[in-house]
Amino acid sequence: MHLRAAKVAVALFILVLICFISISLHAQTSIPATTGSSPESSSLSGAIIGATGTGVANAKIAIKNLATGQSTETQTDSTGHYSLPNLAPGDYELAVSAEGYSTNTAKVSLAPGASKTADLTLAGALSLQDLGFSSDQAQGTAADQARLNKRSHMLMLHQRIGLIAAVPLIATVATSFGAGGRSTSTSDRYLHLALGSAAGDLYFTSAYFAIRAPSIPGTTRRGPIRVHRVLAWIHGPGMILTPILGAIAFDQKSKGERVHGIASAHGPVAIVTAAAYGAAILSVSLKF
Amino acid sequence: MPKKFILAFILLTIPRLAAADSQWVLVESSLTYHVSHPLHQSEGVSHAAKGKGICHAGQCDFLIAVPVKSFDSGDSNRDLHMLQVARGGEFPMITVRTHLPEDASSLATIPVDLEVQFAGQTIQYKQIAFQHVTRGSDSLITGTIPLTLTDFKIDPPSLLALPVKNEIPVRVEMKWRAM
Repeated sequence: MHLRAAKVAVALFILVLICFISISLHAQTSIPATTGSSPESSSLSGAIIGATGTGVANAKIAIKNLATGQSTETQTDSTGHYSLPNLAPGDYELAVSAEGYSTNTAKVSLAPGASKTADLTLAGALSLQDLGFSSDQAQGTAADQARLNKRSHMLMLHQRIGLIAAVPLIATVATSFGAGGRSTSTSDRYLHLALGSAAGDLYFTSAYFAIRAPSIPGTTRRGPIRVHRVLAWIHGPGMILTPILGAIAFDQKSKGERVHGIASAHGPVAIVTAAAYGAAILSVSLKF
Repeated sequence: MPKKFILAFILLTIPRLAAADSQWVLVESSLTYHVSHPLHQSEGVSHAAKGKGICHAGQCDFLIAVPVKSFDSGDSNRDLHMLQVARGGEFPMITVRTHLPEDASSLATIPVDLEVQFAGQTIQYKQIAFQHVTRGSDSLITGTIPLTLTDFKIDPPSLLALPVKNEIPVRVEMKWRAM
């Protein structure tokens, strides 16, 4: 019975030994030891092999002494070989990385004076295509960036000129009380006209940059910009209509007549236009 | 005698299985950047990240990628401005690569070295701590990547002549599944 148990134990030991050898053969790293030439320092050399079986040139090799934490780096040559001479004996961690490959690591023990060989295989790195992104999604172009830059630049000009336009616009509204109603002052009317013209010129310059700014394909409008655009459909026509009605009113006043007919809508239209313009500025002012 | 063969077969097969390739797939994610301005705070969220991890011989390589334009702050004008300053037209993807030992999946906190490619620059972030919770067959990973604008040579956008802060931390919430 004891003899049978001993046989089973021996058989198990042999199987475990076979398994251990199997693991070692399967591992990507093979570290055969050879006799060193120097009794004090050790050395490590080997080849870095890519997934296709060829040497990987310019692979970065970092070796770290696990006892001291000291690291040394080198690179493979054009054939994928590397050499790390003059290493202190001890346990090391070898890390190999190369562009387009996965990083691989291995533990190496160097005996005093030993020269070891450690060959490592690098698997191909995951790519964006492996994740399901098409090459069109993964690669941009200088033209796409130029379009974005142009858009940002034009909208910045739209914003700045639009803010400047608000100054004569407010002043135009303020001078309207002297220009209209019962006032017969010619100078007030001309001041109102001049400020209104300045506001209109700046307004349409600003609008030009907003309208001509390139759109970005595949973008849907979200957030405050939608309110900003809706308000533009109010102050835009208002900025066209207001000066036309103003010109008729100016003509009537210049003839000494009371403002009448369609020209009497000049004031209310201007107020609605100015209010929509102010709201449009506020709708996007708290952003960068 | 057949029992011995079965035993031998099992013992020989186990190490092969242990060394075989395994994969992780990112099944859900939420990436949120946070931008601070003296007058204003904003966040942009993306759920469009894709990721995969391949393990071999006890080591795993992970790649996570997300389109720059997939971040939504609730304001398309701001998002397009961010896309422009981050050079998203020329470099439309943010990719993160990392390398981990396979047994890291048993840790509650995983220190990770990240290689982040963004805006045409590649930056390494060392030992970023991610929290790890296992739920069924899924691994939930959360953490924050401390990105900065200067790391990626991005000019900070400004409001009223005041630039946004340099720090743009990205909160990461991911659900990985072993395949």
